[in-house]
Amino acid sequence: MSAGSKKRILKEYGECMNDTPSGMKINFDEQNMTEWEVLMDGPEQSVYAGGHFKLKITFPIEYPFKPPVVSFKTKIYHPNVSNDEKGSMCLGMLRPEAWKPPNKVVSVLHLIQTLLIEPNSDDSIEPSIATEYKDNRKEFEKTAKDWVKRYAK
Amino acid sequence: MSGPAYTPTDEELAHLQKLSSEFEPEVTGPLVGERQSSSAITTEYANADPVYRVKTAALPSKYSHYRTCRGDGHCGWRAIAFTYFEALLRLGDRNRFLEEETRLRSMGNLLNSIGFQEHLYEDFADECFDLLRKTESLVSAGNDERAAAELLASFNDVGVSMAIITYFKLLTSAWIQTHPNDFAPFLDLGQDIRQYCSTQIEPSVCEIDHVGMSALAEVLVKQAGFALEVLYLDRSAGEEINTYRFDPVSNDGLPLHNPPTLRLLYRPGHYDILYKMEDVQQPAIPQAPLHVALADYADEFVPMPTSRGMSDVMSLIPGMYPTGLGQNWPSVSYDYNPSPIPQPQMAAVPTYTSVPVPTTSQEYVNTAHHNVPLESPVGMSLNPPMTIERGGPFRPSMYELEPGFQSNHSQSLPFQTSIFRNSHYNTAHFLNPDFQPEEWSPDSEYVTGSRSRHKSASQ
Repeated sequence: MSAGSKKRILKEYGECMNDTPSGMKINFDEQNMTEWEVLMDGPEQSVYAGGHFKLKITFPIEYPFKPPVVSFKTKIYHPNVSNDEKGSMCLGMLRPEAWKPPNKVVSVLHLIQTLLIEPNSDDSIEPSIATEYKDNRKEFEKTAKDWVKRYAK
Repeated sequence: MSGPAYTPTDEELAHLQKLSSEFEPEVTGPLVGERQSSSAITTEYANADPVYRVKTAALPSKYSHYRTCRGDGHCGWRAIAFTYFEALLRLGDRNRFLEEETRLRSMGNLLNSIGFQEHLYEDFADECFDLLRKTESLVSAGNDERAAAELLASFNDVGVSMAIITYFKLLTSAWIQTHPNDFAPFLDLGQDIRQYCSTQIEPSVCEIDHVGMSALAEVLVKQAGFALEVLYLDRSAGEEINTYRFDPVSNDGLPLHNPPTLRLLYRPGHYDILYKMEDVQQPAIPQAPLHVALADYADEFVPMPTSRGMSDVMSLIPGMYPTGLGQNWPSVSYDYNPSPIPQPQMAAVPTYTSVPVPTTSQEYVNTAHHNVPLESPVGMSLNPPMTIERGGPFRPSMYELEPGFQSNHSQSLPFQTSIFRNSHYNTAHFLNPDFQPEEWSPDSEYVTGSRSRHKSASQ
């Protein structure tokens, strides 16, 4: 990890501390600053309300020239989060081909929050959940809430 | 033994899609390679289809060297960024480094005006300024070689290389967005400038396209007083590689004379860096027209004034002209520096030893031929033995012509450019020490005519 990347991560951390999105907490370890642990409450206006989610943000060696990797450590029923042990979320600005070096981590955090409130079913990683979200919203909400109870309490 | 055709499920398709979009071909090689002889390109295409073969065969005679860039999706940006720094090094003027830093810094406003935040781009910009300063201090200490090595090493450091590319991308984006009228007509129909920049310029993995290159040429290259030349090696018709130039203009809107030029070779999807011999040797020394040497030294050797520098010395060396594709005289333009083309099959390089050659240039000659077995240097004599075989790697010089060749033939040499024709280098000019009025001779009329046709066809 180059000095430039470290400097940038520290800068990003500073900004996230000043402007932490509501309901989020960042655990930052100076010994291992390329992995952030984010604790996040399910947004009130979403089906995930009441849940507590643990996320990991990993900064690649090439950061900021490659995007940080966001993964949900807590299982979540969501069209944009892979339903496996990785729980990865990769869309929009987080896509490698769309990532811009000046993108801010705080915008990434905001993106995550927005997606919990309103999943993006057109750009999904779990097509079956996306279909259910579009065609059978009730069933989707039921499962999502059920998963919150089971995994995110 | 039939069954329903296998149809992958959505999940499988999504998985395959993911795999394919995450696929990255193995890319190898340095981010920016060492400079090497461009005959390597000709060799590379020796077995390719005829269009490429013909086009690349002509390449080394104009562009003596090239440098590879790693094909990792950043090569176009990196090639321009690298050659921009290299052009500054070539100028070797410390004030130019400072000017450039000041000019680039002054564009912070441009970046701010389109919404980039300083604390986010300053890291990238600082890498660029750091490198400018590092190379500047080495250049002003007279240590050009170390400056070049530092530049190459920096560009091979992913962090530095990417930071500088990112900075230049942001400048490009800002330039496009602040000059929408210049660029909007070239975008896809209905594409919005802001959206274009955000998807085609700013992302870290997006190769430069023509709009991006035009904008980068404007913001970085032309404003620095440099020109950018791109050779498009593709399957289009013709015998020469198509060239596109971005030329700088001075404050009064006139084109700059003989600007330092950044040269790129584009092959579909990839950019490398090209050099003419003059880029490799020395800062631009005004080049005497090629035929002067031929005409002046036909019957008497007159030492050139040493102040005119290396390029003239090079032009005195018989056999040091590139092979001219079987013509008597090369079909080269007049900005071409006569100089050796390193070619593997070459047996010996006649080296003219009695002219004092500046050490740097001497080193250059040596490195260019380090893999060539050198015979003992052949001293230049005015009537060298006529044993040099035709058809070798060099185009024939006058010393290889029939024994009956006389200096008075020289006046029938074709003078294709009006600049040369009207200059005192022309023996037909009254200021020429060897003034000799032009005489009409029916024989030379024919020769001249056919040759100039040939020349114009090949240019």
